[in-house]
Amino acid sequence: MNKNLVLYASILVFGLAAPFIFPAFKVQLSILCVLIILAVTWNIQGGEMGYNSFGNILFYGLGMYLCASVQVGMFFPLAEWTESGGEKTFVHTPTQFFQGMAVGLVVAAVVPTIVAGLIGYSILGLRGHYFAICTLGLGVAAGEISGGIEIIGAGQGFTTPPFPNVGGLEARGEFFYFCSFFALVFAFITVRGIYSTRFKLILNAIRDNEDKAEAMGIETMKYKIIGWMVSAFFCGLAGGIMGGLVGYIDSTDVAFDGREMGVFMVLMAILGGKGTLWGPVIGATVFHIFKEGFWTFFLGWQYVALGVLIVIIVIYFPEGIMGWLREKFPERFGEVVDEADRKAQVELK
Amino acid sequence: MKINKIILSFISAVAILLSTSVVSFAKVVGDKIVLGAAISLTGKYSSNGVHTQNGYNMAVDRINSMGGVKVGGKTYKFEIIYYDDESNPKRAAQLAERLISQDGVEFMLGPYSSGLTKAIAPVTEKYGVPMVEANGASRSLFTKGYKYLFAVLAPANLYLDVAIRTAVELNGGKGVRIAQAFEQDAFSQDVRLGILDAAKETGSEIIIDDKLPKELNDMAATLVKVKQMKPDVLVVSGHTKGALTAIRQIAEMKVDVPMLAMTHCDAAKLSKQHGKNSQYALCASQWHKSLTYKDEFFGSGMKYAADFEKEFKYDPPYQSAESSAALLVFKDAFERANSFDKKKVRDALAATNMQTFYGNIKFAEGGQNVDKPMVLFQVMCDGAGKCENKVVAPLKWASAKLIHPIPKWSDR
Repeated sequence: MNKNLVLYASILVFGLAAPFIFPAFKVQLSILCVLIILAVTWNIQGGEMGYNSFGNILFYGLGMYLCASVQVGMFFPLAEWTESGGEKTFVHTPTQFFQGMAVGLVVAAVVPTIVAGLIGYSILGLRGHYFAICTLGLGVAAGEISGGIEIIGAGQGFTTPPFPNVGGLEARGEFFYFCSFFALVFAFITVRGIYSTRFKLILNAIRDNEDKAEAMGIETMKYKIIGWMVSAFFCGLAGGIMGGLVGYIDSTDVAFDGREMGVFMVLMAILGGKGTLWGPVIGATVFHIFKEGFWTFFLGWQYVALGVLIVIIVIYFPEGIMGWLREKFPERFGEVVDEADRKAQVELK
Repeated sequence: MKINKIILSFISAVAILLSTSVVSFAKVVGDKIVLGAAISLTGKYSSNGVHTQNGYNMAVDRINSMGGVKVGGKTYKFEIIYYDDESNPKRAAQLAERLISQDGVEFMLGPYSSGLTKAIAPVTEKYGVPMVEANGASRSLFTKGYKYLFAVLAPANLYLDVAIRTAVELNGGKGVRIAQAFEQDAFSQDVRLGILDAAKETGSEIIIDDKLPKELNDMAATLVKVKQMKPDVLVVSGHTKGALTAIRQIAEMKVDVPMLAMTHCDAAKLSKQHGKNSQYALCASQWHKSLTYKDEFFGSGMKYAADFEKEFKYDPPYQSAESSAALLVFKDAFERANSFDKKKVRDALAATNMQTFYGNIKFAEGGQNVDKPMVLFQVMCDGAGKCENKVVAPLKWASAKLIHPIPKWSDR
């Protein structure tokens, strides 16, 4: 317990100090926080529950549009804001901006949670590939539909309110960094909390054999829905922050970005090791660093490099980084290893 | 829990990595003025991204070889740091941040497309970094009160305005029936708004109003409707893919329509790729090589086209020409400001009033270029099947007479 405290305290201190130690990297660090949130919450479905969801991007995009719409709609007519030909210029005062953002983030988190609860009942009835394909469709459909809704800018996109002129040049970066960092801390504590309860065991039971879990008297549907609602809550929150950070929402490229964010969250969780608490965190960090590096050093070939990385992961680390570490150093994970057993395994090889 | 050690060492590794990778060069290093640009080298806008990059590079080479930029009695040369934004607004905004805060860039060139410019503008605006952009035409860019954004091109709603007015004129001043299909993106949707305005003013009726997906490779559904409803004008806009898809399917399905108005014909190299099938297509363009504007760096449009062809082996589309013009504007502004102070350069940019081979450039309050009209050209083919783009409107620049209505496929 003592060591844990040291670990968490040092991470917290590092997180709080990071934007001041590496001021040039604030945006990348903010995006890293968002990526970790997405990976950690995807892991609730994909890792612990065994439901490979490609639909979490729905909540992320929903949160993004909701936060921006609320932030604008609280003070100005939304339709005039998003209308392209409009000649009017609206400017948020600092108070309006922050008030709008605060309310927007709450809405961005709560509404997707409710949506997850509503659609969860029908969609979580599907299993295996059917569930994966259905959720994939959710994100794509949401992108196409939102691209046709005039009030949120349709194909024109939605420019989110510019950051007000307070606190100097670095204020915007710092604001969004701390938003995403605290959202990450909140998400991590929540997920860690629920993983230490019976809830996680139930999710694992569903993953291992859903029918048996049901036969044991567990209301699997209820837990599946609750798990998805937790993910939706944080995905929506992350989306809301990301919308403000990017400053421009496009229906398929930024909000319901299934091709990038939607796939990345899965990739990061698998890279780090799904079904573990820390795996997605490490996976997201490694992934982000490699991605940024490839962009700088292999311009034009970055996706080829990323592809090679994925192939290497699949071949050499099929269980992810955490899985690989666990296999190499089982003692460090608190597993009791029987020496005779290990020797027997070596001989078998 | 030994695992903590692993995680802790991992975090410190990340921290070390971050702290060692801070590379920051100043905006002006030695005799170099470093400009930053995020360009779509991959993704759906990659072909136009390359046109843009070629335009920038061409102008950089030309200006540098002709003496560079003179500021404070010293000569400087342009240099551009490029990143690939993958045609993704999220990525573009991130790269703008990176160019400014990590690479120390203090002057930016625009990306390709309105959507990406919309994503970058809030960032450059916040840092007070002047950006001269050549490929973001959406009207909404110019109504956000941006002070550091300057566009050398005319806004998107004016692109096909002339086409509708010409059609009405040829119809004896009576309104026409318009069928239109636009890609779901900022630029094309703005072209659509321009058509709506023009239709309203001329009393024209819009009978088909379709939206096309971003990954555009099929518009048969729209064309089937066009075949049934027989509109007077068919308007299609969706960047390069839109132009290519429209021509391919119109020819395949033998759709007869008296007037076909499009955008991006030259960027899509329609006359080369589709030859006679693209004949009679009417295209909106920011620039055409036959226009008679002049400057000291590229001479005339014809000369620019010849030089460009020599270097890049294809006829320059207007995307390249306007991108080259962006650098001429920057050079002019630096020299008039006689300083590298961002604010002073911004003020000099705002006061720009010049002629380039690409057209006159003068910025309105919102940053758009108000001194340069759009032109319309038509793809015309000779008997041997060699096709060329000829300017047909406005009359001042016209080098050929508009062929209207388009002959039926059965008579071609």
